[in-house]
Amino acid sequence: MLQGIGSRGRREIDARRAAPATLTLFLAPALLLYAGFTIYPVIRTFYNSVQTIGPQGQQHFVGFANFSALLQTDFVFWKAVGNTALFTIVATIADVFGGLLLALVLFARAPLAPLLRIVWFTPVLMSYVVVGIIWVWIYDYDWGLANQVLRAIGLGAFEQSWLGDPHTALWSVMATHVWKWLGFNMIIFLAALYALPGEVLGAAELDNCGWAAKLVYIIIPMLRPTVVNLLVLSFIGKMMVFDLIWIMTGGGPLWSTETVSTYVYKRAFDWNTFDLGYPSAVAVLWFIIILAFIVLMTRLLRQHDRLEF
Amino acid sequence: MAVVAIDGLGKRYPGSSEPAVEDFTLTIGDGEFMVLLGPSGCGKSSVLRMIAGLEPITTGTIAIDGRVVNQVPAKERDIAMVFQSYALYPHMDVFNNLAFGLRRRSVPAAEIDRRVRQAADKLGLTPYLRRKPHALSGGQRQRVALGRAIVREPKVFLFDEPLSNLDAALRVSTRNELIRQQHEIGITTIYVTHDQVEAMTMGHRICIMDKGEVVQIGAPLEVYRSPANTFVARFLGNPPMNLVPIELGQSSGRLGNVDIPLRSWSPRALGHARTVLLGIRPEDLYETPPRPGDDLVPIAMQVSAVEPLGAETLLVLTLDDGTTDIIARVGRDTRLRIGERATVLLDTTAVHLFDPTTTRVIPRDLP
Amino acid sequence: MWRRTPLLLFVLLYTVVSGGPFIWVAVMSVRTTPEIFASPYALPSRFHWEKFVQAWAHSNYSTYFWNSIIVVSTAVVLITIFGAMAAHCLARYRFRGNRPIRFLILSGMILPPQLLILSLFQILLDYHLYNTLTGLILVYVAGHLAMTVYILEGFFAQIPQDLFDAARMDGYGDFEIFWRITLPVGAPALFTTVTLNFIVLWNEFLYAVVLLTEDDKRTLPLGIMHFMGSHQLDVGMVATGLMIAITPVIVLYALFSDTMIRGMTAGAVR
Repeated sequence: MLQGIGSRGRREIDARRAAPATLTLFLAPALLLYAGFTIYPVIRTFYNSVQTIGPQGQQHFVGFANFSALLQTDFVFWKAVGNTALFTIVATIADVFGGLLLALVLFARAPLAPLLRIVWFTPVLMSYVVVGIIWVWIYDYDWGLANQVLRAIGLGAFEQSWLGDPHTALWSVMATHVWKWLGFNMIIFLAALYALPGEVLGAAELDNCGWAAKLVYIIIPMLRPTVVNLLVLSFIGKMMVFDLIWIMTGGGPLWSTETVSTYVYKRAFDWNTFDLGYPSAVAVLWFIIILAFIVLMTRLLRQHDRLEF
Repeated sequence: MAVVAIDGLGKRYPGSSEPAVEDFTLTIGDGEFMVLLGPSGCGKSSVLRMIAGLEPITTGTIAIDGRVVNQVPAKERDIAMVFQSYALYPHMDVFNNLAFGLRRRSVPAAEIDRRVRQAADKLGLTPYLRRKPHALSGGQRQRVALGRAIVREPKVFLFDEPLSNLDAALRVSTRNELIRQQHEIGITTIYVTHDQVEAMTMGHRICIMDKGEVVQIGAPLEVYRSPANTFVARFLGNPPMNLVPIELGQSSGRLGNVDIPLRSWSPRALGHARTVLLGIRPEDLYETPPRPGDDLVPIAMQVSAVEPLGAETLLVLTLDDGTTDIIARVGRDTRLRIGERATVLLDTTAVHLFDPTTTRVIPRDLP
Repeated sequence: MWRRTPLLLFVLLYTVVSGGPFIWVAVMSVRTTPEIFASPYALPSRFHWEKFVQAWAHSNYSTYFWNSIIVVSTAVVLITIFGAMAAHCLARYRFRGNRPIRFLILSGMILPPQLLILSLFQILLDYHLYNTLTGLILVYVAGHLAMTVYILEGFFAQIPQDLFDAARMDGYGDFEIFWRITLPVGAPALFTTVTLNFIVLWNEFLYAVVLLTEDDKRTLPLGIMHFMGSHQLDVGMVATGLMIAITPVIVLYALFSDTMIRGMTAGAVR
C-alpha cells in the first residue's frame, strides 16, 4: 500500500515527467485518429498495390504485375510523369524566384508596401475551385481576357485556345498555379528580408555598395536557407498537383495536362475499369519517388542544415 | 513554520559522469534565513529544486518538520518558490497571479481576496492589481513573484537568485525589502545566490557550495573571518583574499625578503610543510599604522596600479619577485602613484594559512 | 524620381494582375449573362443584386454553405484540441517514445494525398462513414494533425519551464497545467493554426470530391463545381455563385489580414 503511493508520487516529483496514464491521455486522441485515418490507409494502399480489386471488392494477389504494367506498357503514366516533371520544375522555379522578386520590390520601399503585401497575397487564400473557374474564363477563346488583351495590343495573331490546345494547355495551367502561389513565397521572403541583420546591410551601404551589388553579394547569399526551404517545399507540393488541373482541364486535351495525381484519380474513380489496385501501385511508386527527391534535395541543397518545412 | 533537515542528499543526472550534488547535509532551523552560496554549476539550484519537489532525489533524504518528503509531490509539500525569471503567469493580472495558488487549495473566495489585498498592500502592489505582468517594471514583477509566495503562507520559502534580473540600484533596495519581509513573516527561508554580497547581508547562516559539495556552513561574519579553505577565502570578499605562497621557517614565514611572524601556529600545526599559502585580506594591509604594536610588519613593494573607488582606494602592489600581485585596500587620500615604491604594513594577527595541496585552512592552535 | 518609375510600373501591373480577376468576378456577379456577353469587361449599368437571392435559393447553395460550416468548424475545433494536447505532451515531457512518436506524427506532412485517398475510400465504406460529413471530418482531422502539432510543439517548447514549475508548486496537476497555462499562454500559436486549418479546409477539394457524392452532403468547393457544371453557359450566375463562396474569406481577410497571412505561412517560416 505504502509502496504504491510512493511509486505514484515518484513520477510526479520530476517536473519534466508524467505518469504513463497522463501521457496516454494526452496523446491518445491524436494518435488514434492518426492511426485510423493516416497510417492504416497508407499501409492499405501499399497492400492494395499488389492486388487487383474488383468492383464488388473481391481482390486477388497479383504481385508486382501492376508495377511492371505501369513501367512497361502504360504510356499515359509516362506522359503524366513527363507533364508532372515539367510542371514541377518550371512552376517551382517561377514560384520561388517570382516570389523573391515581389518581396524585393516591396523591400525596396515601394509606396503602399504594407497594403500591397495584403493585396498580392489574396490569391493564396482562394480555393482552387474559385481560381480555376476564374482562369478558365480568362483563357476563354472568344471573350477571355488573355485573347482580348492580345487583340487590343495588336498581337491578335497570337490568340489561342489556351486550354484547348495541347501545346499551350499545360503552360496555361502552370501560369495560373504560379499566379496563385507567388504571394505565399513573397511573404516568406519578405519575413526573411526583414530578419536580415540591419548592420550588415548598413555596412554594405558604407562600403558604397549599389543596389545590384548588395543584392547579389549580400542579400541573396544570406537568403540562401530560405530559398532552399521554399524550393523543397514548393517542389514537394507540385509533385502532388491535382486540384487546379482537375478543375481547369481534367487532364486533357489529349493527356497534355495529365499529371500523376489526376491519373491516379481517374484510374480509381473515373474510368470504367473499377480497380483500386492499379492506381494504388501508381500512388505507391510516386510516393517513393517523392521521398527519394526529398532525401536527395535535402542532401544536395542543405548541406548540414536541418530539414525544416 | 518548519525545520528542513537535509541528510546525505545526492543528485546524479542521467548521462552525466559527475554527480551534481553529493552528500549534502544541512539542517535549516525554524524561521531561519539560510543562503546557499556558490558559483554557477555548483549544485545549489539542484538542491533547491529537490527541496521544492521539482527534481527527483538520487540519494539521501529531505525532511520537513520530521516528515521525509522524498516521495511527496511538489504540490503537497506546502512550499512556495520565487523563481529567477519570476515565472509570472503572463495571461493573468497581478490579482490572479497572487490568487492562483490559493484557488487550488480550496481557500474560500473571501479569504483569497483578503490575503491577496493584504499582500499587495504590504508590497505596494495595490494600484497594479488589474495589470498584466508585461505592463509592470522589473521591480514590480519581482514584488509580484514575492507576493505570490507570501499569500500562500507556506511552511518554507525558496528563492532561486531572485534579484539577478534587477539593475544594481533596485537590487539593493529589493534586498533590504526582502530582509524586512522575511524578518516580519518569520518563515523558514532557503535562498540561492551566487552573489556574496547578498549572502553576507541577508543570511542568518551561509552554506557555501563548490562542485556539488558543502564547503562551509556558518554565520556570515564567522565564515568571512575564518574561511575553511582557499575556495571560501577567495569567494567571499571583494576584492578577494590575497593568497601568496611562502617558505616556512621557525615559527615564521618568508615573504620576499620579509619575515612574517606566525605566532598563533605551533610547529606541530605547521607539521612538515615547507611551503604554505599565506592569506591576506586587502583590508589587513595599511599605509599608516592603525594602532601601535609590534604585530605590524612593513613590506616594500612596487605600485603597479591605483584604483580610487571613492570611499577607499585599491592598490595593486607587486612583490620584488616581479610576478606576485597583492591587492591592498587603503584610505581614499593615499598619494601613491603607479611606479612608485611603497611600504605597506601587514597586520600579522589577521593572516590565514592554507595547505597548498589540500587547499584547507591550517588552523591556529596557539592563543 | 525617374529611377523609381520602372518599380512603380511593376507595382501597378502586378497589383492589377493579382487583384484584377477578383474585381472582374465581383463586377460580373451583379451583371446578367446577356450583358456580360455583350461586353465582358464593362462596368455594371444596373446592379442586379437579385442574382444573389436567386443563386442562394434556386440551387443548393445554402446546404453547401452550412455543410462547409459544420465540417470545417468541427474539424478545426478537434484538430486544435487534439493537436494541442499532443504538442503539449511532446514539448513538455521527457519519456521513452517521445522522439519516435514525434517523427511518426510529423512524417504525415510529406504524405501525398493520393497515397491515402484510395484506401480511405475503402476504409470509410467499411466503417459506414462514406458519404457522411462525420467521415470527412475525421479524415480532415487526421490529415491536418501533423502540421498543427509541428507548429504548436515549436511554440509550446519555447514557453519557459519555470512557468510550469511555478504552477506545479501552486498545486496544479498535469491536465490543469495544460488547460490553465499552456493553452492561454500558447493562444497566439493556437490562433495561427486555427486560421491555417480553417482556410485550407474551407478550400479543400480532393478528399471532399472522393468521399462525398450526394448533393446534399456537398461542401462549398464541390457545390461551386456542381453549380458551374449545371450553369455552364450562364456565366453571370456562376460569377454570383463564386462571389458567395469567396465573400466570407474576403470579409475575414479584410478584418484579420495579418493573422490570416501568418496562419497560411506558419508552416514555412521558422
